[in-house]
Amino acid sequence: MYPRWLWPVFAAPGVVWLILLFLVPFYAVISVAFGGVDPIFQNPVPSWNPLDWDYTAMGKTLTGFLPGNQYWAVFLRTASYVALALSGSLLIGYPAAYYISRHARRTKAILLVLLILPFWVSYMMRMLAWVNLFSPAGYINKFLVWSHLVTTPPDWLNGNPASVILALIYGYVPYLILPLLASLDRIDRSVLDAARDLGASPIEAFLHVTLPLSKPGILGASVIIALPMFGDYYTPNIISGSPSTSMLGNQIDIFFHGGSQPGVGAALTLILSAFLAVLMAYYMITIAKAQKEYPA
Amino acid sequence: MSGGDVELIDLAKSFGRMRAVDGINLHIPGGEFFSLLGSSGCGKTTTLRMIAGFEQPTGGMILLDGADMTGMPPHRRPVNTVFQSYALFPHLNVFDNVAFGLRRAKIESGEVKRRVNEALALVQLTEFERRRPSQMSGGQQQRVALARALVLKPAVLLLDEPLGALDARLRKQLQLELKTLQQQVGITFVYVTHDQEEALTMSDRIAIMSEGHIEQVASPQEMYEAPATIFVADFLGVSNLMTAKALGKDEKGRCRIRLGQFDLVAGQGEVKGGDTKATIRPERVRLEPHGTPGQNRIPGMVERWVYLGNSVQLIVRLETGDTVQALLQNSGDEIPYRAGTPVQVHLPPEALRVLADTGARLALETAEQEDL
Amino acid sequence: MTRHTEPGATVISPRRLIQQNAVRKLSTWIANPWGRPRFLALITWAYILVSIAPVIVAIQFSFNDGRSVTSWQGFNLTRWYWGDPDHSVWHNPALQHTLLQSLKLAGLDILIATPLGVLLALGLARWRGFAANASNFIMLFPLVTPELVMGLALSLVFLHVFTFIEPSTTAQVLGHVTFSLSYVVIIVRGRLFSIGRQYEEAAADLGATPAQALRLVVLPLLLPAILASMMMVFAISIDDFVISQWLSCGASCDTVPIRIYSATRTSSFPSINALAAIMVFLTLSAFGAAYLVQRLMTRGERKSRRGMAKGMFDL
Repeated sequence: MYPRWLWPVFAAPGVVWLILLFLVPFYAVISVAFGGVDPIFQNPVPSWNPLDWDYTAMGKTLTGFLPGNQYWAVFLRTASYVALALSGSLLIGYPAAYYISRHARRTKAILLVLLILPFWVSYMMRMLAWVNLFSPAGYINKFLVWSHLVTTPPDWLNGNPASVILALIYGYVPYLILPLLASLDRIDRSVLDAARDLGASPIEAFLHVTLPLSKPGILGASVIIALPMFGDYYTPNIISGSPSTSMLGNQIDIFFHGGSQPGVGAALTLILSAFLAVLMAYYMITIAKAQKEYPA
Repeated sequence: MSGGDVELIDLAKSFGRMRAVDGINLHIPGGEFFSLLGSSGCGKTTTLRMIAGFEQPTGGMILLDGADMTGMPPHRRPVNTVFQSYALFPHLNVFDNVAFGLRRAKIESGEVKRRVNEALALVQLTEFERRRPSQMSGGQQQRVALARALVLKPAVLLLDEPLGALDARLRKQLQLELKTLQQQVGITFVYVTHDQEEALTMSDRIAIMSEGHIEQVASPQEMYEAPATIFVADFLGVSNLMTAKALGKDEKGRCRIRLGQFDLVAGQGEVKGGDTKATIRPERVRLEPHGTPGQNRIPGMVERWVYLGNSVQLIVRLETGDTVQALLQNSGDEIPYRAGTPVQVHLPPEALRVLADTGARLALETAEQEDL
Repeated sequence: MTRHTEPGATVISPRRLIQQNAVRKLSTWIANPWGRPRFLALITWAYILVSIAPVIVAIQFSFNDGRSVTSWQGFNLTRWYWGDPDHSVWHNPALQHTLLQSLKLAGLDILIATPLGVLLALGLARWRGFAANASNFIMLFPLVTPELVMGLALSLVFLHVFTFIEPSTTAQVLGHVTFSLSYVVIIVRGRLFSIGRQYEEAAADLGATPAQALRLVVLPLLLPAILASMMMVFAISIDDFVISQWLSCGASCDTVPIRIYSATRTSSFPSINALAAIMVFLTLSAFGAAYLVQRLMTRGERKSRRGMAKGMFDL
């Protein structure tokens, strides 16, 4: 019906754009990470030819991640923050998504709108709101003191890891709930009815049918928020000014903008990307396996 | 106006290694209501789509009134299609849907209006001009699709299982309407369906397809009464296929066969010798009281009966081990043979047919299983 | 109240029946106040409350009569919006500039990313072969790349490769479009798949050339998805912090999120809250407008079963 060449021609502008402004920049990162340093100005010099790559600088940065070395603590901290924030988000997000998908009938439309609302409010605005609430004279502390739960108002915004994790949860849950909801909606209701019909109690039906079937959705939604979280540097900066809660993103930010060693910043970015690529690969393999078991 | 004469010459289509249409030859004279009948995957829809131009054949030619259409893109062919899902443009109302093709042909708007009204009157939907497709029932949508295709006065109209989405009652009503319409308009209809009853009811001629090739092309009556292959016999209605051995011919030239321990005469079909299949339609099987003597009579016992409203189906097990289905018209009387009654099954020679041509491999296996 | 009933039947008045029903409902609730739907409903509504309340409070403080962002000093509608001669949004050119910059970036992003993305979606949906698969893979990559990585990569590429582009509004727009493209493709392509090929085939069957089929049938049917992706791009661009910051040229390239970021750890005026509130208002209005327009356009085909949320996340 259509000439065969039409579709590549349509796709060409977009693909060219992505190559120039996505693939090439990525290669630039690699080239800087494996590049040299200008002896006079101490600037990093990218080395475009893979044959000229200098592996010593990268090697030094990599060894920094070994236990005991300078990046080990940051990496551990980042991983634990993300893990905790992810778990917290799932603990809140899954029940909410489950309720909206399965039980809310008349209120479903309203709930969806309310759910999407934080999505449209800028992340920074929500962090601003959060900080205002948790500031020393903010409403949270006022309430805690008034209700006599504490005697002195706690300092939430100064090097407090719990605050950072809570803020991460608050910030990222909306991005988790929507894809989770979408995948829960896709579960065929009649499968659950069949389980009940065959004698499963509501809890058994949930554990043996709903939960396994929502695994791909949970995994997908987790990837959607975990990956950006690994690169988050602004949330720790806003919530806690202290380097004791700095994440990997902060390290990269410091190295690059602090002016000291942008090359190390590039190297760290590469390592981060490689790590995330591994996570991504794990996700895709799991999905591929799941597709074979339950062809959608 | 051209005659609508369609010719398919060695038409073939492969998808990778899968041969969907395996070199078929067909000639459909202008003005005929022609059906392509078969189960899913037999290649009938692919054939239709090649005539329409949505699939490029991997071999062969398509001629329309003698002109080679094979390389022509769909928008230039003088054929139009009624799609299975109707494919009515959701963003246009009924009038604009029907006018779509006329406007592409740059027909001036006064003429467009006249022809659209004419087409809508033909399918009795004149008051629905301003409606959107989503506001109409399935049967109405189907008629809009018809009007939209017919308004362009194509040489050939292609219909891809257009009645599949409708309930049984509506389907029967529309079958009649479609047939009447075709006779009124005089265009060649090429109709794809998997429903044998539909094909039998509406067509002037039918082609039964299986696994990419054509089993038989004939009028409905000929196809039902004189199936050429076991597959065709089994596809249309009940065939009562029985395995027998051919013994040669009798003095009248009819085939002599041995069924179990009984020698019978089959007046239809020809086989040379060896293994063969005998078939008889259920309405031709005669049941007589047990012990009645004569040619082509086998003792048996009624296993059960099924009440169908206008008829009664009796399943009889012959002494040879074969199971045969007999159909008796409901005359209002009591059913003469209850389950467990011994009877004499008379298979009249003029109704008994032998088939040697196995046709599709699948048919043999189905025949072995005796679907009753 | 007497009734004529069959002999042997118990006579119950209507009022008693209602009482019995109410008691039964209450006792079921008490026996299982954590009945599953109720428990889940609680969590859901609690989450929604906690999610939205801080924002409401922040907006509330934009109407504060005093300078504090934590202590409520009375209601003043206009002080921080245009009343205060030094610090209100109307009188603070720096704040205004950030608002304009955010809107400028979002507008340019939509202008560039939408046509590019629609073409890319059409192309990728129908193109077959190795190059097509590779292109699809490349298109999906930005979706899973952290913004930090992209920001750093783009800075480097403007420093070392495309040196004719300085950190500037131009650089920011280029970064935004790169990030937004994939979202447009996902949304439009999802819609394309649910439409199927049938309408284009019908159009061709009726005599439309391929160009006419695309213009008269495909594009109108894709319009809701195109609108939705424009909304998506707007939201992404307005909200973007990382890319805008890394490619920023300084104060004149600052966007609203960057401004808010620098204000959160310093003592700030409620004018920041006002700025943020204006932003929220603009975003929600744009969303509302797009939704209404879309409803208007698709009044002929309210049949689509798959919601926008589902369509968005199909990779």
